Amino acid sequence: MYNDIIIDNFTNPQKVGDIALANCEFEIGNPVCGDRIKIQLMVENNTISEARFRAWGCATSIATANLFCESIEGKTTSDINQKNDQDIESMLGQLEPSQHHCVHILKELHQQLVVQANAGAQ
Amino acid sequence: MDQQHISGYFDYNATTPICSDVIDSMVPAMKLFANPSGNNRHSQTIKKTINEARQNVAQLLQTQVSNIFFTSGGSEANNWAIKGVLFKHIDKPGHIITTEIEHASVLDTVKYFADTFGFEVTYLKPKKDGAIDVSDLENALQDNTQLITIMYANNETGVIQSIEKMATITSARKIPFHVDAVQLVGKRKINVEKLGIDYLSLSAHKFYGPKGVGSLYIKDIDSIEPLIHGGGQEFSMRAGTENLVTIVGLSKAAQRVTESVEQWDSDNWQCKQHLVALLEASPLKIKFNGSTDYSNSLSNTLNIAIDGIRGESLMLQMELIYGFIISVGSACSNNKTINLSHVLQAMNINETDIQSSIRISFGRFTQLEDIEKFVTALVSAVEQLLAISTGY
Repeated sequence: MYNDIIIDNFTNPQKVGDIALANCEFEIGNPVCGDRIKIQLMVENNTISEARFRAWGCATSIATANLFCESIEGKTTSDINQKNDQDIESMLGQLEPSQHHCVHILKELHQQLVVQANAGAQ
Repeated sequence: MDQQHISGYFDYNATTPICSDVIDSMVPAMKLFANPSGNNRHSQTIKKTINEARQNVAQLLQTQVSNIFFTSGGSEANNWAIKGVLFKHIDKPGHIITTEIEHASVLDTVKYFADTFGFEVTYLKPKKDGAIDVSDLENALQDNTQLITIMYANNETGVIQSIEKMATITSARKIPFHVDAVQLVGKRKINVEKLGIDYLSLSAHKFYGPKGVGSLYIKDIDSIEPLIHGGGQEFSMRAGTENLVTIVGLSKAAQRVTESVEQWDSDNWQCKQHLVALLEASPLKIKFNGSTDYSNSLSNTLNIAIDGIRGESLMLQMELIYGFIISVGSACSNNKTINLSHVLQAMNINETDIQSSIRISFGRFTQLEDIEKFVTALVSAVEQLLAISTGY
């Protein structure tokens, strides 16, 4: 079964697409089930003004990518960096065991964002 | 019946909608509470009803009533056939032949006998089209082969095995041959005696009957051990007070199959041809998993891989946005493993295609216009998913 957060983000993903002049971009994947997510960001004055994704994977991973983009728009990288594991886990709501790999995907997206932001800052 | 649910239901191989005359037959049976094993006149009435049910199932399989034993469903019937035969050899475990594409109730039971009692097992592999080569069965036979258990039609691909040819070989060698016909009964006409097999499993909910009831055909009662001890029910082979309500439902469903299976099959075949033609004319890039022709596959089943999408995402999209229910052969399991269909893997289909595969199965309530709406929805759903994954 899929919870309402997953259903909403999967059936009506608002953040699908590309940013022509993206200044931050990263990709993650799950080698076991093959899920792949590409994130493009426009970061202005340390704030993420726009976030878009492309994804190939299960419904929950597509929903995860959309939810991630929705949640980071308008935030600074330091806002995002302050999120702990519990904050991130709660974003996806209650998941079936078969969907738990998406918690790891969401954590990895956050980690990658921080890494990329730090790299950009240097 | 919820008409919208029925029109959008394309998962008949998982279970079928229970038909209204089956429900009508079951409701009065709920009020009959006498124990069928009693000696009072109410008990006699129930006993008579159970005998009529046995007759209807016997007629469905074109055999005698004494060969029909009620069970709780297909899994129990499969378990009974395997355990009942192998327990006769428990002091001298020999060899079993089965296939890689069986239902879990066969594979897990066979594995249990191999792991616990030391039986040797040969797993036959299907060809790319999903069929088991009859010569592979012949070559796998050993002097100590004690059981052969092979499914008639596969639940995922609908591919039909050459059971009649296989039975010629097994009966000549007098090796017990069990056939899991759960997916075939209700879709094609069947004559167990002509087939020459020893055991056959069926399940009522696969042919518009209730869940929780099935049957095992046993050619020779002395060839198999009882399943449940402790009473005289089912000729002392499966003790326990009979579940009258579900048996009555099975009876009515079996009667309907006997009367109408050829018509249903013809209608299904028309739907399948229409579905294949529409899919081939669509912009979708598809591959058919297994045979699709009439002789070698069920008329109601199609398993396809669609390029560029994940079957699981498509399944959810089809249900939530378009109201169509289908099923898939692979799903996420956890972070370390993925559940890929063992059937498609056995057919040597690559992992990407397995992840992109869906099973479409329909039935007697499906109309040609439902097929058309289904394909229109499928094309839209795939386009939406491809738009999300563009660039991958």
